[in-house]
Amino acid sequence: MDDDEAITRSLAGDLDAYEVLVTRYSAVAHRTAGLLGAGEEAQDVVQEAFVKAFRHLGSFRRESAFKPWLLRIVANETHNLTRSRGRRADLAMRLGLEREPYEPEDPEGVAVAADGRSRLLEAVRGLPDREREAVVCRYFLQLSEAETAEVLGVRLGTVKSRTFRGLRRLREEVGRELLR
Amino acid sequence: MSSSDDHPGDDFQAHSGTGRPGDGFGDLEAELRALGDTLHSPAPPPSGVARAVRARLEGPAHTESPARPGRRFGRPGRDGSGSRAGQARPLGSPRRDGRSRRVRLSRRKVAAALAVFLAVLIGATPQGRAAVASVLRFAGVEIGVGAPGPLPAGVPSPLPGERRVTLDEARRAVAFPIVVPFALGDPADVRVADGGRVVSLFWPGARLDEFDGTLGVVFRKDLGEPWPEEIPRLRAWWVQQPHRLSYVPRHGGAPREERVAAPTLIWQRGAVGLRLEGPSRDQALRIAASAR
Repeated sequence: MDDDEAITRSLAGDLDAYEVLVTRYSAVAHRTAGLLGAGEEAQDVVQEAFVKAFRHLGSFRRESAFKPWLLRIVANETHNLTRSRGRRADLAMRLGLEREPYEPEDPEGVAVAADGRSRLLEAVRGLPDREREAVVCRYFLQLSEAETAEVLGVRLGTVKSRTFRGLRRLREEVGRELLR
Repeated sequence: MSSSDDHPGDDFQAHSGTGRPGDGFGDLEAELRALGDTLHSPAPPPSGVARAVRARLEGPAHTESPARPGRRFGRPGRDGSGSRAGQARPLGSPRRDGRSRRVRLSRRKVAAALAVFLAVLIGATPQGRAAVASVLRFAGVEIGVGAPGPLPAGVPSPLPGERRVTLDEARRAVAFPIVVPFALGDPADVRVADGGRVVSLFWPGARLDEFDGTLGVVFRKDLGEPWPEEIPRLRAWWVQQPHRLSYVPRHGGAPREERVAAPTLIWQRGAVGLRLEGPSRDQALRIAASAR
């Protein structure tokens, strides 16, 4: 069942069809909530987002893609959460170095790479919210500029400028020498 | 917090003016992507999430306020204080109440004659729906245009007595000729509801409900502006926005089985009322034109 069919059936009240959509997009929804700062509440955020998405399915524009539309709701829910708990959104991410798909043979090289990456991650964490969100969407979630604009609810030019400023700041923070 | 946010004219444009967007950041971008690949966020199994979401959707009526995920989801009339009015409204006129077949047939003739060209505009203000500016009745569908209140939030339920059948079984089960639009081909799924009062055909991305369009109101739609668009060539009406759809019980009473309906084309072919939901306007017009 493709997205379009699942959406049609969901609109008619077919919860089996909606389960297909939830299953399909659960992982990316959790990842988005986590990376945008939902922290340990990512699961609540995602569940709420899926419930709201179902209720608003009638306003989904059928000619567009479901994923960015859903992630927009996830991003909004995450915003509501971080705003309500009154502290800065943070990346709820751990460096999953133990799960690297491959390991360089040289242990010292591993350590250097790990060090570079944790410094980079720290630098991303330290970015102003808007720049960090753009960087997270573009590079960690690997969304296109257009998708990022939809998810964050801003214009394309705004995505470009926030991304650029974020990159420039990261470059200043971590320096060229750590980046091969 | 940058105040130049919505004015991307500063450094970015100066920068991309070199003709090399992302100039000098290629290595950093690659490193960020690689870093992203190593980031793991804890996530429960997707099937568990699906079950949890389903349980919430199936649960008792939600008491929290309707979702407002973003500006883009704004809907007409959802802020009004009359938001409850939509739930238990009496419908303007209760319908058939077990009259004899002969009476129904004569009513049918009268109604058919009217329905051919008629879209009746009634300045109706049924009790409890004073906000409704006007009502359009056409092909067994009643459309209230006014302040519709919030779109239904609960889980839509199927039509009464709905069961899955084959197309042939459906043809035997209903009293009117079932129309299968040539442009869509054989339906993927066929359902008959309420003792043959409604037959629903499904294709990926499309739902077509067919019913006797002369005997009274079968479906009720509530929407705000803009008005449905009349398509004179097909004697059809196009409802362009998502809207509240409810089923009007056979023997009258308040509409039930409310759900959110996607944009819909409504037309009539002979005595059969049709509502096609899902396709875009142009697709819907093509499909309707092929339903001969």
